[in-house]
Amino acid sequence: MFGLTPALIRADLRVERGETILVRGPNGAGKSTLLRVIATAISPTFGSGSVLGFDMSRGRDEIRRRVELLGHRTRLYEDLSGRENLRFACVLHGLDTEGIARAVERVGLEDAADDRVRTYSQGMRQRVAVARALLRAPELLLLDEPYAGLDAEAKDVVDQAVVEAQQNGRTVVVATHDLARGGMATRTIRMEGGRVLSEVQVAALAREASR
Amino acid sequence: MSAAERAMGKLTARPGERALGFLSLAAVAASAVMSLVVSPPDVEQGSLIRLMYVHVPSAWVAYLAFGVVFVGSIAYLKTRRTRWDRLAAASAEVGVLFTALTIVLGSIWAKPVWGTWWTWDPRLTTTAIMLLIYVGYLAVRRLPDNPARRARWAAVIGIVGFLDVPVVHLSVRWWRSLHQAPARLLGVPDIAPAMGAALGIGFLAFTVLYLYLMALRLRVGRLDERVVAEALSPRVDQPVDVLLADEAPAPGQAEEAKEVPARG
Amino acid sequence: MMVLRQAAAMAGKDLKLEIRSRLGFGAVLPFAATLLLSFGLSLGPGRSLLAETAPGLLWLAVLFASVLSFRQSYQTESEDGAMEGLLLSAFDRAAIFLGKAVAVAVELLALEVVVLFLVGVMFGLSLAKAPAVLAGAFLLGTLGLSAIGSLFGALTESPRAREAIFPLLVLPLATPVLVAGVKATELAAAGRAGEAGSWLGLLVAFDVTFLSVGSLVFGQLLED
Repeated sequence: MFGLTPALIRADLRVERGETILVRGPNGAGKSTLLRVIATAISPTFGSGSVLGFDMSRGRDEIRRRVELLGHRTRLYEDLSGRENLRFACVLHGLDTEGIARAVERVGLEDAADDRVRTYSQGMRQRVAVARALLRAPELLLLDEPYAGLDAEAKDVVDQAVVEAQQNGRTVVVATHDLARGGMATRTIRMEGGRVLSEVQVAALAREASR
Repeated sequence: MSAAERAMGKLTARPGERALGFLSLAAVAASAVMSLVVSPPDVEQGSLIRLMYVHVPSAWVAYLAFGVVFVGSIAYLKTRRTRWDRLAAASAEVGVLFTALTIVLGSIWAKPVWGTWWTWDPRLTTTAIMLLIYVGYLAVRRLPDNPARRARWAAVIGIVGFLDVPVVHLSVRWWRSLHQAPARLLGVPDIAPAMGAALGIGFLAFTVLYLYLMALRLRVGRLDERVVAEALSPRVDQPVDVLLADEAPAPGQAEEAKEVPARG
Repeated sequence: MMVLRQAAAMAGKDLKLEIRSRLGFGAVLPFAATLLLSFGLSLGPGRSLLAETAPGLLWLAVLFASVLSFRQSYQTESEDGAMEGLLLSAFDRAAIFLGKAVAVAVELLALEVVVLFLVGVMFGLSLAKAPAVLAGAFLLGTLGLSAIGSLFGALTESPRAREAIFPLLVLPLATPVLVAGVKATELAAAGRAGEAGSWLGLLVAFDVTFLSVGSLVFGQLLED
């Protein structure tokens, strides 16, 4: 009656540093919401938790310094070039602009880096976002349906960010229903109807599916 | 719970509300008697002066209510406790009524005295602008679905709006004084003691009336919140527990997240 | 100071975007010019009435044009959700507020130069008698307007807020700017610069108050 629906009902989640978690679930399962809560983009109406040792309500600044959320909204400025966007991102996060050239190379945007983002395809935009994640080198990398609308090459670029994080012992959480991706995960979590399913529930689902 | 909060709780509980209701009825009745019967007509304005006994107290409440919005807004931003947002919202609604009333009464008073429905009297003009700020406050409250966001946005307007009112008043007063040598203020003329008493009782009556309306509105606000809470949580009485990892989360991160309203 | 440096970076980014979007001179200025023409048509053609009302009409045009400018300033943040990027960083919230305020103020000042010239020509407003006071009035007034606009512009992220709420909030709150700006402009045009002191003082007080209050509370509008 109020238009309020709990998007995320219960998520008891424990993640170890260095893990790569894959979150799967149908549309509307609450995967996006979960990631956004972890990133402190939204705050839970009830309950609390901690991310990287910092409380989700009191330690937001600290969390935000260490977490990068890569979603399908790329958070770019349309009338700036890819490079300028990265430069501003460096200012935003207090990073050195030295690494920009290298990051641009790694995501394969050298040719287009100085064109306005308005002219970019979705794949190119996502590459800029990946470059930003590479520059930030966050302790916790969250990816929310990052492969949506991308061709295989662009998807590989996204995976670069994941691999780089893994190689440096950082933690990654990927939510996607792209079945071909996510092979590098160390653990898979399933969500449904706003809940993170426990092992038992997953086993039951699997049994039903194979019947 | 502080003493202030306990007192508020008592006042706004059902029996307190009823008591306030009777009290305001009595006070308004007393005020009416004083204004209409006991106090003498004015030398210049005749019986018209009786409008003063409602117009001025109404203005007082209008500004008092905005002050409460201001206090509630600051308190909310500092403490994040919904009771302060509830207070601010209630006071804004009640305040709009009294502000509109003040302007209407001022207009009615102006017509026979100066021949126009609207004089650009600085106080009246400021009140009109304050009305618009109030309306903006209430309009913004309708925007977000998320109650926390609504409270925060409203609080910002409550604070900025209140701080702006004195500046507006100053600017309008200077603006007026440039054009009219004799200040055509809706003035309070020399007051006989009986008139002073009537005015004083008017202030009292309107203040009690304000408190009564606030009590009513706060109760509705509490019910509102409970409905929302129930819509979101399967178990209302039991606050959802925080399940943090037993040992310090140094080795990794542990997050729990519970009910979150759907976005946009 | 860190905040100022960040604010400068923010302002620089916004100005770059403003210039490239070409909406400042492409849309906002024509809008202001249209307003002036409409005012002239509805009040004229008698020159004396127009000259008398010129300061007021001028400031009204600025006020309405600023609504467009702020909308545009925040539009760039919502196109791809860049605003969330600002939120999810440890970037000083006050710096975002001040940076945006300054960027729009600069754009508006540039527009005002043209508008002043137009009003001088179309309405016979005398610009040369007290140029310092005139400049002061517009500088301070625009800054005050920008403080309010930058603060509440943050609300326009929500699509529902965009159209109607923003002007409703800004215009009443900006009343002192309107009144003081018009009066100071009148006095400057009449060559009575000395009397404009208190109006300019009021503008200074307004600016200081709302730039500081805005800096303090802006973060609250960004969250969630």
